[in-house]
Amino acid sequence: MDSIAKTLSKAIITNWLRIILGVMSLETFLILWSLYSGWLHGDWIFSNRPLSTSAEFLPYPWDVLSAFAQSFTVRDPVSNLYMTSHMYASLKRIFFGFVLAFCLAVPLGLLMGRSKNADAVGKPILELFRPIPPLAWAPLFLIALKFFWGPIAIVFLGVFFPILLNVILGAKSVDPMLIDAARALGARRRDVFAKVVLPSTLPYIMTGVTVGLGVGWMCIVAAEMLGAVGGGVGYYIYNMVYQAGMYDKVYAGMAVIGLLSVLTTGVAALFERRLTRWMGMK
Amino acid sequence: MDGNEVTISLRHLCKSFTKNRGFVQALDDFNLDVNQGEFVCLLGPSGCGKTTVLRIVAGLESASGGEVIVGGKKVASAGPDRGMVFQEFALFPWRTVRKNIEFGLEVKGVPEGERSRISSKLIELVGLKGFEDAHPKELSGGMKQRVGIARALANEPAVLLMDEPFGSLDAQTRNLMQKELLRIWSATGKTILFVTHSVDEAVFLADRIVVMTARPGKVREAMVVGLPRPRDRTSREFIEVRGKVLTELDEEFEKARAKELSPD
Repeated sequence: MDSIAKTLSKAIITNWLRIILGVMSLETFLILWSLYSGWLHGDWIFSNRPLSTSAEFLPYPWDVLSAFAQSFTVRDPVSNLYMTSHMYASLKRIFFGFVLAFCLAVPLGLLMGRSKNADAVGKPILELFRPIPPLAWAPLFLIALKFFWGPIAIVFLGVFFPILLNVILGAKSVDPMLIDAARALGARRRDVFAKVVLPSTLPYIMTGVTVGLGVGWMCIVAAEMLGAVGGGVGYYIYNMVYQAGMYDKVYAGMAVIGLLSVLTTGVAALFERRLTRWMGMK
Repeated sequence: MDGNEVTISLRHLCKSFTKNRGFVQALDDFNLDVNQGEFVCLLGPSGCGKTTVLRIVAGLESASGGEVIVGGKKVASAGPDRGMVFQEFALFPWRTVRKNIEFGLEVKGVPEGERSRISSKLIELVGLKGFEDAHPKELSGGMKQRVGIARALANEPAVLLMDEPFGSLDAQTRNLMQKELLRIWSATGKTILFVTHSVDEAVFLADRIVVMTARPGKVREAMVVGLPRPRDRTSREFIEVRGKVLTELDEEFEKARAKELSPD
């Protein structure tokens, strides 16, 4: 009993240490930020220093926090929208781009992963377009596809390749022994596909989804900065810099993007873990 | 059906392929008849093509020449009339024990109620009661292979093809599984073609041991074991038979080794 109590308390101590270290790390970051900001602004101990011209670029953390909170209750001065509207606009683009990419990349990946001929046809095209960053297409897409489909197409490209590559990898790494086993049990081609290849590939699909969503968020912010109709968090950030010069709101927008990205990829990762555990694979 | 009806008939089986730009003659005029309900072990030095024989019978590989007749029908591709048990178990990791066993029935379109009736019976037979809903990763090697055997039996195949099924198990589990297999065999009366490289295992299990030559593989000798069951590994008769088989096999091992040292 005594030893159990000892190991338990030891575990708590080591964990607490980690928690405290983590909190301290964040705290130190905020203090340094505040100090640097104070130095630029010529506040507190730096009060004999004049206000720097670049002071407005680095507001205090608490100003960012209040700008963040305010963006949900007060309409922004440029597009006259609440932050929730911007979030909705960005999420909508991510959603459409993602769904399109998913629906195309999964069957295509399965096909290329399982058929050498399909791979021979698809691979040159894939290798031709894969090295081009999705954002290189952004200006062209925006002008050619206009402001509804343009950003969606950019997100599509960003999400498409990570999913496709993961699905190809997954479909290629199906254990041939399992396919033999299925065939010996009387499975026809489509049974093998539905009951062996697809379930084997599911974890890879989910990895592709998680990675793809991360890339998708990067793409949407940049795409919206090039111009957007009906708002968007990237559009908001851009306007707060170039139209309003309200830098605390810029940081607030960045925080919103970060949170949204973490949220969506987090949900995908959670789903992935649940799925693989439910399937008994990990 | 009388006990001497031939269930598996292999006629002039040949298999050659190219590997690393070299031509390999794996099998050369391999002939074998296995009777209904018989337990035959294929024994031979590694690389002699015993697994190839099994895979051809299963229909997972095609022969370059000759023919395979199982239950009076010529084998052209894989089919549920031949159950296969793999050394690496080859269980579907995302399926529970029950769902693994029901795979063949699902594919065949057997209705759900019937499926679970059959799988319950098999779970009972192979001694997996209480593990119906476990996933393969939760099972020990011996239990995994119990699932493998039950899964192969679910289709009610005429023959059971076993490719070193206990090769990856520890010695204790292996001995236990051999006894279990004999129990299942006598309960089901299946014809079994069993590949192994263990002389001890072959003598313990088989009605007849087929010793293969080194590559290209053909039948060197087929020996009837003739010991009553249950067999006692420490008995004089058992050791005698084992000695005889070992002598045969050793010569082939030597040939295989000599060939390895001086490739043509």
